[in-house]
Amino acid sequence: MLAGATAIFLLVLVLLLLAFRRGGGPSGSEADARRERVWIQGLGLGFSLTVLAALTAYGLYVGERLLPRPGPDVVTVRAEGRQWAWSFGYADAPGRSTENILHIPAGRPVDVEITSADVIHSFWVPRLAGKLDAIPGHVNVLRIEADAPGDYAGVGAEFNGRDYTKHRFTVRAHDEAAWNAFLQEEMQ
Amino acid sequence: MTDILRISVPLTAWLVAFSAVYGLHGLVCSDRWVAAGLDLAVGRAAMAAAWIVAIALQVALLLALRSPRFASPSAFMRGVSLTLSVTALVATLWTLMPVVTTSACL
Amino acid sequence: MNALRRHRALERIWGPRPGWRGKLTTVNNNDIGLMFLFLAVTFFVIGGILAMLIRAQLATPRSVFMGPDIYNQVFTMHGVIMMFLFAIPLFEGLTVYLLPKMLGTRDLAFPRLSAFGFWCYAFGGSLLIFALLAGIAPDSGWFMYPPLSSTLGSPGINPDFWLLGITFVEISAISASVEIVVTVLLYRAPGMSLDKLPIFAWYMLIVAVMILTGFPPLILGSILLELERAFGMPFFQVDAGGDSLLWQHLFWLFGHPEVYIIFLPAAGVISTVLPVMARTTLLGYGWIVAAAISLGVLSFGIWVHHMYATGIPHMGLAFFSAASTLVAVPTGVQIFAWIGTLWKGRPEMHMPMLWILSFFATFVMGGLTGVMVAVVPFDWQSHDTYFVVAHLHYVLVGGFVFPMLAGLYYWLPHFTGRKRFFKLGKTAFWLVFFGFHGTFLLLHWAGLLGMRRRIDHIENGSGWELINLLASISGFVMAIGFALVLIDVVVNAVVAVRGRRNPWHAGTLEWAMPAPSASYNIASIPEVRSRNPLYDDPELPVRIARGEGYLGDPSSGLREILTVEIASGRPSSLVIFPTNTALPIVMAFVTGGLFVGMLIKAYWLVPLSILGVTALAVWWAWSLGSRRDQEPQPVGHGLVLPLASEAKRPPGWWGSLFLLIANGVFFGSLLFGYAFLWTVAPNWPPPAWLKPDLTGPLLALGGATLSWRGIRVADRGLRRNGGPWLGLLLSLAGSVALASAAVTIFMRTTHDAHAYDATLWVIAGYVLFHATIVGLMTVFLALRAAAGYLSARRIGEARVVRLWTDYAVVTALLGLGAAWLPGVLT
Repeated sequence: MLAGATAIFLLVLVLLLLAFRRGGGPSGSEADARRERVWIQGLGLGFSLTVLAALTAYGLYVGERLLPRPGPDVVTVRAEGRQWAWSFGYADAPGRSTENILHIPAGRPVDVEITSADVIHSFWVPRLAGKLDAIPGHVNVLRIEADAPGDYAGVGAEFNGRDYTKHRFTVRAHDEAAWNAFLQEEMQ
Repeated sequence: MTDILRISVPLTAWLVAFSAVYGLHGLVCSDRWVAAGLDLAVGRAAMAAAWIVAIALQVALLLALRSPRFASPSAFMRGVSLTLSVTALVATLWTLMPVVTTSACL
Repeated sequence: MNALRRHRALERIWGPRPGWRGKLTTVNNNDIGLMFLFLAVTFFVIGGILAMLIRAQLATPRSVFMGPDIYNQVFTMHGVIMMFLFAIPLFEGLTVYLLPKMLGTRDLAFPRLSAFGFWCYAFGGSLLIFALLAGIAPDSGWFMYPPLSSTLGSPGINPDFWLLGITFVEISAISASVEIVVTVLLYRAPGMSLDKLPIFAWYMLIVAVMILTGFPPLILGSILLELERAFGMPFFQVDAGGDSLLWQHLFWLFGHPEVYIIFLPAAGVISTVLPVMARTTLLGYGWIVAAAISLGVLSFGIWVHHMYATGIPHMGLAFFSAASTLVAVPTGVQIFAWIGTLWKGRPEMHMPMLWILSFFATFVMGGLTGVMVAVVPFDWQSHDTYFVVAHLHYVLVGGFVFPMLAGLYYWLPHFTGRKRFFKLGKTAFWLVFFGFHGTFLLLHWAGLLGMRRRIDHIENGSGWELINLLASISGFVMAIGFALVLIDVVVNAVVAVRGRRNPWHAGTLEWAMPAPSASYNIASIPEVRSRNPLYDDPELPVRIARGEGYLGDPSSGLREILTVEIASGRPSSLVIFPTNTALPIVMAFVTGGLFVGMLIKAYWLVPLSILGVTALAVWWAWSLGSRRDQEPQPVGHGLVLPLASEAKRPPGWWGSLFLLIANGVFFGSLLFGYAFLWTVAPNWPPPAWLKPDLTGPLLALGGATLSWRGIRVADRGLRRNGGPWLGLLLSLAGSVALASAAVTIFMRTTHDAHAYDATLWVIAGYVLFHATIVGLMTVFLALRAAAGYLSARRIGEARVVRLWTDYAVVTALLGLGAAWLPGVLT
């Protein structure tokens, strides 16, 4: 996408510069009609439409793949934002909750049910997925998946008042044994 | 004033159709839809139907603006109104296409 | 009469009163335009200083320059000032100043309204600056998402300054837009049919219609949020049936068109200036008009693309993603049409051209990153990061500030009447250009590295330190550049030598008059035969000054001006404009009482202010018109035209029509909000629906019938030279019945019980408000009839009232019907 954008930008710049190299072309309504065909119908309409149609289709295709469709090994967790902390709950371990640290299994798709206790927040773990807002009264579901065990930094990504900058949390991805241990530890 | 209407009606009709289908989509995905005993397939059919109606309306507007009865007496305004009418038709086709190509309510 | 004596006579008629009092009472478009520009630039300087504070804070890690409480006010106010107090008023000012000149007319359609708008802007803007100085400015981000901006997140007074101050300022945007639309449609030089409009006028016509349809949702949102904050009506509180997402929809219904509302005037400047700089005419005029109109309408279908991360289902996002990329096509058409124009001509490198080239370099990049964020998955990552901050600055600075600077240098000889001689401008240009890209280019990267917008400090080891340091240094370079631009302008305005007329050899009419402009703009109104009248006839300025056009004879001593038929541009009537008056500033001041009363919770001030505004409005309207029928008047060249006060659709009717279109969008947004809460808000249905008994609906139906019929009976009475009395009485009774129908809703619900009840109160309030206005108008009409201002020919005022009556009747039936419907169905 970046390369394409750069190419288009350079094309525009080159066309602009070329305008200064040449003296004015032929005049008259026929010449103008030809120019309109080239510049407006060709470049303005044809070129823009083609690029943009391709880009939108690509974006929607990727978007479809990221949707949280039901699956057999999906783990569900719950994230509730508030000023200025996050609490997390676990469908596999009811009653258990953690503060500012979300435990998930690595290598499995995880649905995060996101909501808010006060104002609007946004749940964002840059290395795992895009962001999704926590809105009072609504539950939004975000599909994340960590490839490897480890800690992933997360932040609140919607401005929410005085301590917004410090509104952070961690996602800890466990391998299968550690994940089971985490769930077990809770059961006791 | 009629010239102003000629250039504003087709795109306004697109905007109305676009907002209406988006509103319908909101209704289909809401709890109220389920509460009314309807399912997703009905919802998608309704949205697709609305899309087709919107396209038909745009085609009708385009034909009307080409017909001697409704076309502008000024060549310039005729050109602009037809361009805008085609734009509105393309916009209706393109922006509402997701009703048949993307998954609903996910 | 020679040219100089004509000039003196016209100057006496159209000029302001002498001294500082003249500035307070002037209604002249030259004064008002310059006052708008001056104030907008002042706000730009304030907003710029805030930007520098932000860059100072972020220059080094863990900065303790400002704490979060101050920083949050600073970045919020930077956005608020630049969007609402700088960008929109700046192009309004430019338009108020230039538009009549380009159209070959003497002033805007409603001179007193221009002045009223300016004073509302000045007073509303002052409220916000006061809040900033007092340290109680809004601090929840310029788009003010509740619950953070509501009582839950901000119990203090801060958001009220935003809600009330901005709404106050918005009055000026709405009134300027009504003015611009009616001016472009009716007040043009004869012969200027729609295909011969200066391209800038097309752009401003589109922008004005966009403001009329784009601002009402925001005004509604502000009113609802203020009602929630002041009286606990829970529109955005989820527990009581509200939904914070409603605000986001209303805000972005305004907010996205707003981007194009800001871009299109700049595009209008480019389309005007660029061909002149390339010594040619614009390529594809018709295509550009069509592209600008498409852009205007399409931009209303992409508001949700600011809400990709709010959990809207993928199909919903897909609609808006498709529309967002589509909107780039007309932008592309314009860009390539401009480049084609450059190819067609022989571009010359003057200051305006330099700024236009920097526009291309900057705006195209902003557009391309805009297309990227329109792609849903990409946006989920970049949303609310510095990538978006960089993108929007590329679009707004590249797409608005740079073209406006091109316009500034282009029209500077017109403002000052002087030749540019002190070449500070080029240095300033390079400082701004490199300063800007140095600030924002790398910030894209910081955003992709995960730097969130609105954080009040950066951490060591984040990886963004160097980028931010470079951005801050470049930011200060840019600020120095802007300061030099200002100095350049001031120096050139004060000390440069007098220049010749039309230094750029442009073809449009604003160059056919002496510079700096005389208060009457054009000594006589020429007949126009093409888009570039000065190319057809280089002697035109002299012939205009000699009084060879229409209305060249100032002997009546009145402010005379022509209207034309909309499409053809044939002259249709003669209008006598009102003269200088303190009424606008007094009315703006009294209107301010309403906002200040709400702000400091001195609610007694509100009804007082409403009474005051009503009295002033009556005075305002009373001073127009005539007590006797007049014969058509000669306007020159043997043409006689009827007076506009005897037209069936006088300019005031057109003004009312466009104001009511804006009002209709407001009402539509209200019904949308109602439907939105009903389908989306979690805590619905409400505990109890309002079940109307027969009284309300009967009053509504009866009132609607009486009003609708009554005003028509009155009209017929006037046309047949009988009295309008019976009809007016019926109509008044109808208004009272409609108002009573609305009151039944107040009596049967509690305003803060549930968002449903609160919405019903707003709908009923709306109906009551309009029934009252129409009732007052009806009484006014009766008084006017009694005083002899109405006759079978002078029927325009009655038609204005009929328009308002019909509007009130239709909205009352729709609104009350919607309010009662759920209760009837269940």
